[in-house]
Amino acid sequence: MAETTEKPFTLSVPDADIELLHKKLELARFPDELEGAGWDYGAPLADIKRLVAHWKQGFDWRKAEAEINKLPMFTRDIEVEGHGKLNIHYVHQKSEVKDAIPLLFVHGWPGDFLEVRKLLPLLTAKSSDNPSFHVVAISLPGFGFSEAPKKPGFAGRQYAEVLNNLMLSLGYNEYVYQGGDWGHIVGMHTVHHFGHKHIKAWHSNMPLSSRRPTLLTHPLILINTVFATTFDKSAREGIAKTLKFVQKGRGYFMEQATKPQTLGYSLEDSPVGLLAWIYEKLVGWTDSYPWTDDEVLEWISIYWFSRSGPAAAGRIYYEMTRGNSSEIFAGAQWSSVPLGVSYFPGELGRMPKSWSHLLGKLVFESEHDKGGHFAAFEQPEKLAGDLRKMYGKGGPAHGVVPGKNGYD
Amino acid sequence: MGSWAKPFTVAVPDADLELLHKKLELATFPDELQDAGWDYGAPLADIKRLTAYWKDSFDWRKAEKAINELPQFTTDIEVDGFGSLNIHFVHQKSKVENAIPLLFVHGWPGQFLEVRKLLPILTAGSPDHPSFHVVAPSLPGFGFSEAPNKPGFGGFQYAEVVNKLMLSLGYDEYAYQGGDMGHIVGVYATNAYGNRHIKAWHTNMPLYRAPTLFSNPLLFLEMLTTPFNKRMQEQLAPAQRFQTKGRGYFLLQSTKPQTLGYSLADSPVGLLAWIYEKLYESVDNYPFTEDEVLEWISIHWFSRAGPAASPRMYYGLTSGNERELFDGTRWTSTPLGVAFFPGEPARLPKSWVHTIGKVVFQSEHDAGGHFAAFEQPAKLAGDLRKMFGKGGPVYGIVPGKDGYA
Repeated sequence: MAETTEKPFTLSVPDADIELLHKKLELARFPDELEGAGWDYGAPLADIKRLVAHWKQGFDWRKAEAEINKLPMFTRDIEVEGHGKLNIHYVHQKSEVKDAIPLLFVHGWPGDFLEVRKLLPLLTAKSSDNPSFHVVAISLPGFGFSEAPKKPGFAGRQYAEVLNNLMLSLGYNEYVYQGGDWGHIVGMHTVHHFGHKHIKAWHSNMPLSSRRPTLLTHPLILINTVFATTFDKSAREGIAKTLKFVQKGRGYFMEQATKPQTLGYSLEDSPVGLLAWIYEKLVGWTDSYPWTDDEVLEWISIYWFSRSGPAAAGRIYYEMTRGNSSEIFAGAQWSSVPLGVSYFPGELGRMPKSWSHLLGKLVFESEHDKGGHFAAFEQPEKLAGDLRKMYGKGGPAHGVVPGKNGYD
Repeated sequence: MGSWAKPFTVAVPDADLELLHKKLELATFPDELQDAGWDYGAPLADIKRLTAYWKDSFDWRKAEKAINELPQFTTDIEVDGFGSLNIHFVHQKSKVENAIPLLFVHGWPGQFLEVRKLLPILTAGSPDHPSFHVVAPSLPGFGFSEAPNKPGFGGFQYAEVVNKLMLSLGYDEYAYQGGDMGHIVGVYATNAYGNRHIKAWHTNMPLYRAPTLFSNPLLFLEMLTTPFNKRMQEQLAPAQRFQTKGRGYFLLQSTKPQTLGYSLADSPVGLLAWIYEKLYESVDNYPFTEDEVLEWISIHWFSRAGPAASPRMYYGLTSGNERELFDGTRWTSTPLGVAFFPGEPARLPKSWVHTIGKVVFQSEHDAGGHFAAFEQPAKLAGDLRKMFGKGGPVYGIVPGKDGYA
């Protein structure tokens, strides 16, 4: 057995970094704002000013850091073909249930590993009524406290490798997967490459893809779609929301998919700029989540103090679209690995539910009346509940990992 | 009408210069992927070099002094529904009394100084070519002009400002030149004031809508042949590249300019990279010096409304990406001159140029890009001289002001 490079990880931002942040905040220069702009032009000035003031005087990073360090965190080297070794940061919380189901949780952008935090006690809890999970929550390369790739070309296959190799290195030869945002997208790729052999089932809270039904390929789904969009108000609203996102909400995507370096200079140099860039999404993409200033600033701080710096994370958009010249799901074919999806009303867009069958072998669906894009953070009980139903006794994916059905 | 114009001197407060330098001292940089080149945006080495120069060598006061050699003014212009905006402009008259009044309008990320190299050429008097009185405003939200303070400032509002500026200077009839947003404002301005006030206009960024089956059936059919037509492919290639690779800033500024604006207002390095990327990509191998780049960026950094204001123009012109740039405008019969510069990325195929307006003059150059007035002032001025001069297609079009002594 090869010697493990796993080390326990303690987050410890150097004092000098905190001082520099505060020096920059002291020099903050704000734009003005159009009268009555509200959220129409982006994050409102009053919000950003208030958050900056709290960041300067009030937000206690060391306290937040100490709380984060209560999570069982580690780093280890993961080899990715063509990219050498990347030192990867992750949370690894085991359940006391020996045969708990190994679950890999993957965040997106502008998310981070801490999105798993509220899920951990729910998923690892021992109970005769619910299955338990051993949870691994990775910081994707370039995010949080993982190293970033050093050269171009780190895309679907590479993310799949780093995720799968991490689970294998932890002794989880067979496991299940949960993700939203990029976690969903790289999930499609990871299931494509390692489904069945390693990934026995997976779940997404952002069931989207660029696939669409055609008369030749999916006649039933197409017919269903016509009915849904004609008679189903909720389906029509979902599509309208998707179109609105495409029209109004994709500027960040286009910029990060084409010029992440240019944008990166701002995000790296200005904490105010980084705050606004991410805060706009935290509010815009959640379902009336009652953010506290401390929650927002802790979230932004993970990006500000990240190992590779805040500019690195946005490169995932460029790599996964090859500079906006190919689409993000290219190369990930439909897989018969069992798939569960959860529909949250505040998600960025919604296609007709029948389209979820285009993503994989749909065995579980659940619809909620509350919650948005950051489902694990906003509605941990609902999301954990979905996983429990999907994998629990009598559920469609029960026992899918041999010998680890989640019960003692 | 506006009040009398007041002379204007650029005088950035010492405190603003000190703040800039304090920020530059604390500048932090991202890393970069190996061999990224320009693929991911402005290269790290360039931005580090320019930042170091800005911090240690660039002399703003020297640049400011040179700028103040230009005859600059401000005047209040009333805009329907938006109150009064104080507008900054250069106004250089020719010694030739009957010189042609010419309005020069910059774009984004341009600024009023783009007119600088044109001034001595256009205002020079000679029996061999016409002269011009040149007016070059800072558009609202740019340079030293005020910005609109409420939503809804669109194409017709920008046109209203520049037209009223000319009227306030006593130029009831005049000529117009613009590229980038200056061209787009020109479309709106000729729609609203063409023939009545704007007697002729010239563009170095010939852009308009794509032909439709109903608007231009022959051109539409030609467009359909593109998959088989190498010439069409070549002519449409720059537009295609822009669609795929170059539209990030456009979409972002059209939808979330405020979010972006926090970065541009707070980080000189961020602003530098945001604009420098455009300068580098849009010119035709123009050998920018550090001083030229930093003077350009400084106009944005020290602008009256701050660097977050000018990107809002994209939102205003597209109503937050809910309408196309040219919606609400149509072809006009105001005589139009078009210059094709090889490095201009945003251009229609030549066969479509008559869809913009009544083209009476065309020129094609072998050098020069998007910032034509800055890169190739002699060529651009030469085009205006040919277009408006004796024997040219719009000679004498401004009554009583043919440009000759």
